[in-house]
Amino acid sequence: MRLNLKIWRQAGPNAAGRLVDYVAENVSPDMSFLEMLDVVNESLLRKGEESIAFDSDCREGICGMCSLVVNGVPHGPDRGTTVCQLHMRRFKDGDTITIEPWRARAFPVVKDLVVDRSAFDRIIAAGGYVSINCGGAPDGNAIPIPKDVAEAAMDSAQCIACGACVAACKNASAHLFMSAKISQLALLPQGDAERERRVVAMIEQADAEGFGSCSNEAECEAVCPKEIPISNIAKMTREYVRAVLAAK
Amino acid sequence: MSSRIRVFSTSVGTKLLIGVTGLALFLFLISHIAGNALIFLGRDTFNTYSHTLTSNPLIPVIEIVLLLIFLVHIYKTVTMYLRNQQARPVAYQAKKSQGSPSRRSVSSLTMIITGLWLLIFVVIHVKGFKYGAYYAVDGADGVRDLHRLVVENFRSPLMVAFYVVSMLIVGSHLWHGVSSGFQSLGLDHPRWTPRILAFGKAFAVLIGGGFILITLYVHLFGGQVGQ
Amino acid sequence: MTLDSKIPAGPIAEKWDRHKFEMKLVNPANKRKFTIIVVGTGLAGASAAASLGELGYNVLSFCIQDSPRRAHSIAAQGGINAAKNYQNDGDSIYRLFYDTVKGGDYRSREANVYRLAQVSVDIIDQCVAQGVPFAREYGGLLDNRSFGGAQVSRTFYARGQTGQQLLLGAYQSLMRQVHEKSVRMFARREMLDLVLIDGNARGIVVRNLVTGEIEKYAADAVCLATGGYGTVYYLSTNAVNSNVTAAWRAHKRGALFANPCFTQIHPTCIPVSGDHQSKLTLMSESLRNDGRVWVPKQKGDRRSPEQIPEEERDYYLERKYPSFGNLVPRDVASRNAKQACDDGRGVGESGLAVYLDFKDAIKRLGPEVIKEKYGNLFHMYQKITDENPYEVPMRIYPAIHYTMGGLWVDYNLMSTIPGLHVLGEANFSDHGANRLGASALMQGLADGYFVIPYTIGHYLASTPLPKVTTDHDAFKQAADNVQQRINTLLSVKGNRGIREIHRELGRIMWDDVGMARTQESLTRALTEIPKLREEFWHSVSVPGSPDNLNQSLEYAGRVADYLEFAELLALDALERRESCGGHFREESQTPDGEALRDDEHYSYVAAWEFQGVGKRPELHKEELVFDEVHPTQRSYK
Repeated sequence: MRLNLKIWRQAGPNAAGRLVDYVAENVSPDMSFLEMLDVVNESLLRKGEESIAFDSDCREGICGMCSLVVNGVPHGPDRGTTVCQLHMRRFKDGDTITIEPWRARAFPVVKDLVVDRSAFDRIIAAGGYVSINCGGAPDGNAIPIPKDVAEAAMDSAQCIACGACVAACKNASAHLFMSAKISQLALLPQGDAERERRVVAMIEQADAEGFGSCSNEAECEAVCPKEIPISNIAKMTREYVRAVLAAK
Repeated sequence: MSSRIRVFSTSVGTKLLIGVTGLALFLFLISHIAGNALIFLGRDTFNTYSHTLTSNPLIPVIEIVLLLIFLVHIYKTVTMYLRNQQARPVAYQAKKSQGSPSRRSVSSLTMIITGLWLLIFVVIHVKGFKYGAYYAVDGADGVRDLHRLVVENFRSPLMVAFYVVSMLIVGSHLWHGVSSGFQSLGLDHPRWTPRILAFGKAFAVLIGGGFILITLYVHLFGGQVGQ
Repeated sequence: MTLDSKIPAGPIAEKWDRHKFEMKLVNPANKRKFTIIVVGTGLAGASAAASLGELGYNVLSFCIQDSPRRAHSIAAQGGINAAKNYQNDGDSIYRLFYDTVKGGDYRSREANVYRLAQVSVDIIDQCVAQGVPFAREYGGLLDNRSFGGAQVSRTFYARGQTGQQLLLGAYQSLMRQVHEKSVRMFARREMLDLVLIDGNARGIVVRNLVTGEIEKYAADAVCLATGGYGTVYYLSTNAVNSNVTAAWRAHKRGALFANPCFTQIHPTCIPVSGDHQSKLTLMSESLRNDGRVWVPKQKGDRRSPEQIPEEERDYYLERKYPSFGNLVPRDVASRNAKQACDDGRGVGESGLAVYLDFKDAIKRLGPEVIKEKYGNLFHMYQKITDENPYEVPMRIYPAIHYTMGGLWVDYNLMSTIPGLHVLGEANFSDHGANRLGASALMQGLADGYFVIPYTIGHYLASTPLPKVTTDHDAFKQAADNVQQRINTLLSVKGNRGIREIHRELGRIMWDDVGMARTQESLTRALTEIPKLREEFWHSVSVPGSPDNLNQSLEYAGRVADYLEFAELLALDALERRESCGGHFREESQTPDGEALRDDEHYSYVAAWEFQGVGKRPELHKEELVFDEVHPTQRSYK
């Protein structure tokens, strides 16, 4: 296959960026999307040109590092798929593909298609944990947890913090990301002691980072590679109301 | 008190306020259309209803509350919109929706525009009716002939067109707004949410369509079918 | 140099407790005066940084990714072992210890393994308390499964994402310490040198991957938790950025590298589809519980699988190992797949795959049951290969998955450089020549949560550590060296892609230092690797500048280190003229082709001392003593 690529190039955080045209030759349908970019980069390299910077690591859809908007959709056209798992058989010979970085004020572009997602770390640091020190934990079976509760917590805990939810949201909101962690810990007895403090701290941190609010469009859910639903956001709202009512 | 105000200034608190006020306005619209529908029963029924309503001593209080709800809804949505705009300073070159389960629609994308249109509409609407010409009902002292005012206002095709367009916009605003209000309040349930989504759209059609029907009925038949 | 493993005296069950009591403590008020650097934020690194922060030390944590949560521990699927005996099926600390030593083919240190089994039970408690959503039974208690051929159910799991959930637990604890300012987090930093002052590890030099700045950090002790070196084979199940650089630079500064030839090959990976491939994807080996492995009996049979009648199929694992069948250990399954392909009976376009057939299981259990058990794996397979495994047999092939070798450490996890501690996959200690399934997560967390917090305190309390700053000459020298190497890489300006050279290295390693190694193949590798290294430094193309994000430069640096390290791996494999665990020397096998250990000559840890690039490193031996578990020949017939 031969593909026409329009790829966002931006030299640095403060530089102006633009879409640059490339041609990807001899693309095999068995390649993953990122392997296709590897091949493009290798041909650039042999010509002594600077390669296109993009993030990736595990390449099996779990580390959350890859982050490309493909033809206007974060992670590309397949549902429940990270862009590293997207295969070129999804495209046709001669297709034109536009590739852009995540765009949000809270995710500034580092270079080309690479963005800075440390805002997510700061949201977790604000309260996305159970405050226990290593050493004094009770026996793992001391507190039984019903199977369906554990499963529901696991559904939320699957988030890989790739940031596609932010990228897809017209408001660049991080509500799906935060709510997944808040739901997980609110469901489990271990997270109960801090649930009020946690939800308020994480929401305030997200707002301070410059993420937008939520318009209930569920575009985030549609692009989430782990298909985490916006019912988590509703749960976060309930947690927030609970925290407000409990506040002294 | 100050901490309570801060509670509503976070992104989630803002949504809560928008959701509560939005659903309150939705309830108001239901009662509004129910009252207006009495116009199909003729002039006297309509005027009796409107007189009973406006002469209720609680009404000024309710009006003030309604106004406050309306203002909060507008203030919160506009400030949220502005803040959301800042959250993405550089736009995508190409952007499209992933489709289901996304609920994105023309309606959801234009909430701020339809909302601001409705703000203008409400000003004109209140000016035209509440503060419009005062006709008294013959032989009934102190009873306002609102029926006549309605008929007079809807004589102009321009006014009718404005109302029809505005009611389409109300429908559009509700199409996303009703179910969105529930979600904003955290009211979500695997069984109920699909029903709420359908219910919201059904009411958007009923309310928008109902008001259009009333407008056209008054314009075409002068509110006097069979009289 | 004599290697002192510092194994405490006393009966094996009491060694750790006794040692904990005998070690010196740092006064709580003094802890914040000590700075500890932790490099890497996988299970070992994140748990260490968090625990040390909780104790009150001043911790600096580094990772190459944009966030500590992305470390490759996140990709572990299967589960984590612990000797809880929740299932009442006869498990115990001693049994887990025994299984691990035996599974490691008697090339690990008994005392370390026993401690690992001891603390395994605490790990589960710690993770549950963090809110890790482990699988549960209807009664609300933790669920277990049997894994990797173990005869007891001791594996705890969170669906197929156990590594992710455990890592997020550690990451969240780490972020809590960041919030409390006991840990400072440095993401997108790559460690490029270790700084020694008066012989002690006192800091590191890193490259800020975003600005290109060479940054210096001083500390009282350094912990490396930088993972394994599987990507020396180019294709592996590791993340594409996994590398040996930090460990290798420490090795060049004097830390001995132990048993590099102990690499693990996982039998159930999705086969290579072409040259473009950047990594291999693992599928849980639980698939072998119901799938049947076969190849055509006839060489070069290119018919599609459904056209090959039953009598022309060779279910070779069932044929050769009637009692274990398709469930033989990883190394045996992998080697047999290679043999079948070497015979010309491999399947698929490349001929480098064997079938894993679920037809009989689907017939026996119904597609619904199979879907429930393996649905996510089948889905993943279909996504990658575009074939439906419910209808056509899966094609699988072995791939490099884990590396048991690593920097040599003593019982306190300290390397031969005082103050340099090595944790997790980066060290060599606990798995011997072969790691059992669901034991990697256990070891990473054991090191980070329950070993290093004690042993590092002992080091700090018992070592005179004069205050140093990054103004010290040693820092300047190290930074200059790093800068020099970067400049050299950028100035080659050749015409060969970095990936191309890495792929070539991978081919040498896989063909000659892979699943079956011979005197001849290893000797060949040892002549080819230096040639390729030479080629690299003459013809590699690394465009761009050093002063911003330059992924080519990062990659080139890692491949350059691999080109040095590969030689050590091959040499170690050559010198170990026995087969054990993941290391199979064709010269050393039983008459029926099984791995044959040579305990008389090779019951030792081979720890190598760096002597210069291209120079033969010096071998130091740590003899292994087995007081508890008596070495026997493994048999799966």
